[in-house]
Amino acid sequence: MTDSLEALRGEVLERIQQANSVKELEQLRIEMLGRSGSITQLLRGLKDLPTEVRPRMGERLNQLRRALEQELDARLAAVSRQAKSKALAEEKIDITLPGTRLDRGHRHPITLVIDEIVEIFLSMGFEIARGPDIEDDYHNFEALNIPKDHPARDMQDTFFVAGGNLLRTHTSPVQIRTMESRKPPLQIIVPGAVYRHDDDATHSPMFHQVEGFMVDHDIAFADLKGVLTHVLRQIFNRDAGVRFRPSFFPFTEPSAEIDIQCVICGGGGTLRNGQSCRVCKASGWLEILGAGMIDPAVFKFVGYDAEEFTGFAFGMGVERIAMLKYGIDDIRLFFQNDLRFLRQFS
Amino acid sequence: MKFTLNWLKEFVDFCGTAAELSKLLTSAGLEVESLTPLHEPENQAEDWLFEIAVTPNRGDCLGLLGIAREVCALTGAQAKFPAVQTSKKDPRIHKRVALKIEDAGQCARYSARIVDQIKIASSTPLIRFRLESCGIRAINNVVDATNCVMIETGQPLHAFDLARLTAKQIVVRSAGENRKFTTLDGVERELAHEDLLICDGDTPVALAGVMGGMNSEVSAATTSILLESANFAPATIRRTAKRLALHSEASHRFERGVDPEGTLRALDRAVQLISENGGCRPLAGAADCYPEKVKPVTIRLRKPRISRILGVEIELRQAEKLLRSLGLKTTRQAQQLNVVIPTSRPDLTREIDLIGELARLHGYDNIPTTLPLLRPTGGALDFRLAGERKLGNFFAGEGFVEAINLPFTSDALNGLFRGLWQGSQAAVPLLNPLAQENSAMRHSLLPGLLENLRVNLAQKTASFHVYHLGKVFRCHPTGGYEERLCVGGLMHGARAVRGLRRRDESTLDFLQCKGAVEGAIELFGLHDSITWTAVASDILHPGRGAQLHHKDCPIGLLGQLHPDVSEQLEVPQVYVFELDFEKLLEYAPRRMGVRVLAKFPAIERDFAIVVDRDFAAHRIIGWIEHLGESLIEHVRVFDQYIGAPIPDGKKSLAYNISYRAEDRTLTDSEVNPLHRSVVDRIGKEFGAERRS
Repeated sequence: MTDSLEALRGEVLERIQQANSVKELEQLRIEMLGRSGSITQLLRGLKDLPTEVRPRMGERLNQLRRALEQELDARLAAVSRQAKSKALAEEKIDITLPGTRLDRGHRHPITLVIDEIVEIFLSMGFEIARGPDIEDDYHNFEALNIPKDHPARDMQDTFFVAGGNLLRTHTSPVQIRTMESRKPPLQIIVPGAVYRHDDDATHSPMFHQVEGFMVDHDIAFADLKGVLTHVLRQIFNRDAGVRFRPSFFPFTEPSAEIDIQCVICGGGGTLRNGQSCRVCKASGWLEILGAGMIDPAVFKFVGYDAEEFTGFAFGMGVERIAMLKYGIDDIRLFFQNDLRFLRQFS
Repeated sequence: MKFTLNWLKEFVDFCGTAAELSKLLTSAGLEVESLTPLHEPENQAEDWLFEIAVTPNRGDCLGLLGIAREVCALTGAQAKFPAVQTSKKDPRIHKRVALKIEDAGQCARYSARIVDQIKIASSTPLIRFRLESCGIRAINNVVDATNCVMIETGQPLHAFDLARLTAKQIVVRSAGENRKFTTLDGVERELAHEDLLICDGDTPVALAGVMGGMNSEVSAATTSILLESANFAPATIRRTAKRLALHSEASHRFERGVDPEGTLRALDRAVQLISENGGCRPLAGAADCYPEKVKPVTIRLRKPRISRILGVEIELRQAEKLLRSLGLKTTRQAQQLNVVIPTSRPDLTREIDLIGELARLHGYDNIPTTLPLLRPTGGALDFRLAGERKLGNFFAGEGFVEAINLPFTSDALNGLFRGLWQGSQAAVPLLNPLAQENSAMRHSLLPGLLENLRVNLAQKTASFHVYHLGKVFRCHPTGGYEERLCVGGLMHGARAVRGLRRRDESTLDFLQCKGAVEGAIELFGLHDSITWTAVASDILHPGRGAQLHHKDCPIGLLGQLHPDVSEQLEVPQVYVFELDFEKLLEYAPRRMGVRVLAKFPAIERDFAIVVDRDFAAHRIIGWIEHLGESLIEHVRVFDQYIGAPIPDGKKSLAYNISYRAEDRTLTDSEVNPLHRSVVDRIGKEFGAERRS
């Protein structure tokens, strides 16, 4: 009896080890431990045994049953694991295929650059002002100290519309409009489209400017230098050299042109290959901003007392900054809206 | 202004290199635009051609004399002027020619000299070389001498053939009744009443300050000349030059102001240059009509004002030194300077101009760099900027690329695409357009976007979804102009999907276009207050166009571009929209409140009905909402079906109603009878057949 139990044990254990599926193992469990399973039958047969062997036999049978159950469970777990691994292995995909997504859109490079500039000024406490694109001669020229028949008008070729009006040639009229309606302190930034009667690779009949000005009792040229140096370094490069040169604008005195060190050649005027830099014409500097202290004549036009208030104003061309930042050599690309161009700014 | 270094050196002792001078001039506001090496003819001596940008206020630097003064101020060098024999008192000239200025306001001074026994010939190679280097054509010894002197002193001169001045009486006057005049380039010019003429008696012989006349031009046969050295009013010269588009070296200088005290010096120098080759006989005296001598002005310069404007202290002693280096005379009086401005610097008229000069000479680099304190004014959140950014981000997420177009269009396109303007449709015309097809300001953003589509279709772009936030314009019905910021959009092709080809890709339809617009509206909190109505429009498909209203105000339109328009513009089927961005901002609620979250669950019920094909689905929703049934929380349409077994001419619409009570959990027994009743009433109200 004992030997046959051992044999049974050996045989069943072997079958468990060889079973390779959940189904087979369940079948085995029924065969052995089910209601009419072999072990169950043996346990039922205990009652027919002599009382003196019954307890020992019973214990051995129960041991055998527990052992088989344990083996079955262990094998079942192993087989399930294998089956799962196999299933997972079959679900394998080629992770080098391209991801699926909807094409994202994005903003225009000019909007991006304006936004960046505006953000810098907003962080310095400036606020935004705006004005009309169709301006009158008074706000665009006269009140900015550019009288009729003055050669300074040649600096800005103008589109005219009927009624003596024009398309603003700069964002400066908004300076006048703001000062006409408000009193200092003012720290204002004016982003917007402007128009010049001009059309080639470096001039577009429409382009964008960001104008700004600050007026109070104590604003000096030194403040203009500070604010614009800070802004240019934010836009271009923390370490970029900034140069202020005397210039002339009818609406500021003293006036300055502000240059930054060339972003292409680094200010040396020559490229790494020894050729001279085309972008800065080998000068090492790029003209980027016009600025100055607001001319007392302008204050007079808006009814400010030039003895009481001082202020600075500046203007920069957005396209020029974008062209330098991204190495674009034709301004017209901005307004053809060719996706092959625009997509590069996503 | 172009000049050569060796030529300049005849006017100032400068011993640095060309590169050093270039840096110096640029740092002083005379920006050197180009610097080119040259070799003089004959001796091959090294020279440099400078091209400098002279700002309109610095007419004095349109001559070597002025530039030399700048170099002196910047380096402490000495200015010099070639030794010339100055004219003497000699009454003989008055027997040969009389001078008369009719209006001293137009001509402050007119000086002249006469040179006889001239032999017209070529100038020396050096003079020819210098003039040609500076962009002036060498002509003959007389004309070249006048041009040389103009470059040297900034004073334009003109030489008349004296024999051709028959009246021998120079009159400076307005053109008046003279209508036509032939300039020495052979072009007959139309004159305006106020153009200033130089006349010989009654006969015009030169367009003052602009160009001489053909009838008195110096020619190979000339033996005697009258040299004119005058001072004309800048605005007058500019008006004439501008109107005739006749921009000459002379007019360029007169427009910017020429020193009235310099006429004789220039004449003498010219006579000297003409005489250098010998032969000729100048009259020793000059005729000079100078009705009212221009006197130097005196300007007060206050010390505290300097530091207030510049942010740096400049001692008066230092200020004096700097201003004197420019040739200004100064006297000290307590905390101020009295500064006498020479007539060569008409740009210096006010204290601020002197402060500008101080800043320039002190050096912008030597002014400190400070940051002003923040003022308690700005930094306010800009509602429009926030709206623009929100819209940009939304459209980016929806797959739209932002376009920016020029605002010009044609009258034809403005006639077709009238945008959102109501009433008056008069476009704003440009008086001087770059091209006839761009002669008006746009009414609508759509023509620009359609043009962009064409550009991109040429590149085989399959999907093109763009928007443009830009201004549109019109003439205001009651005069003046009106401009509004609008957002236009165009959708062509299904939204592009990156990755593998997808089999469930949908094609673009009206509802996708509407979805984009709904999303934009929602950004401004207006989705509940907008009404959508079908619209008849020339540019929209008659069955696929909608207009948006907020209350009674139209704020946008959208739909499929009318097939006729597509055909006319040669573009494929596209969907377009245009919204009034300013109205979106105006109506957007400034504050947003948060609803309390519901405590009890909702019960949802669907129903479907069969209605006529042209029945507007929204009517049912409006009707249910109008019931005011407090347990109905929300109604939406979620399906539309057309086709068997629904009869022809009909469609099935499926709706979902959400029922909810604020104070309890609803039960089926409460909701079911209510739902049944609602659906029954809809059937009766709309003659709709219930489907499920």
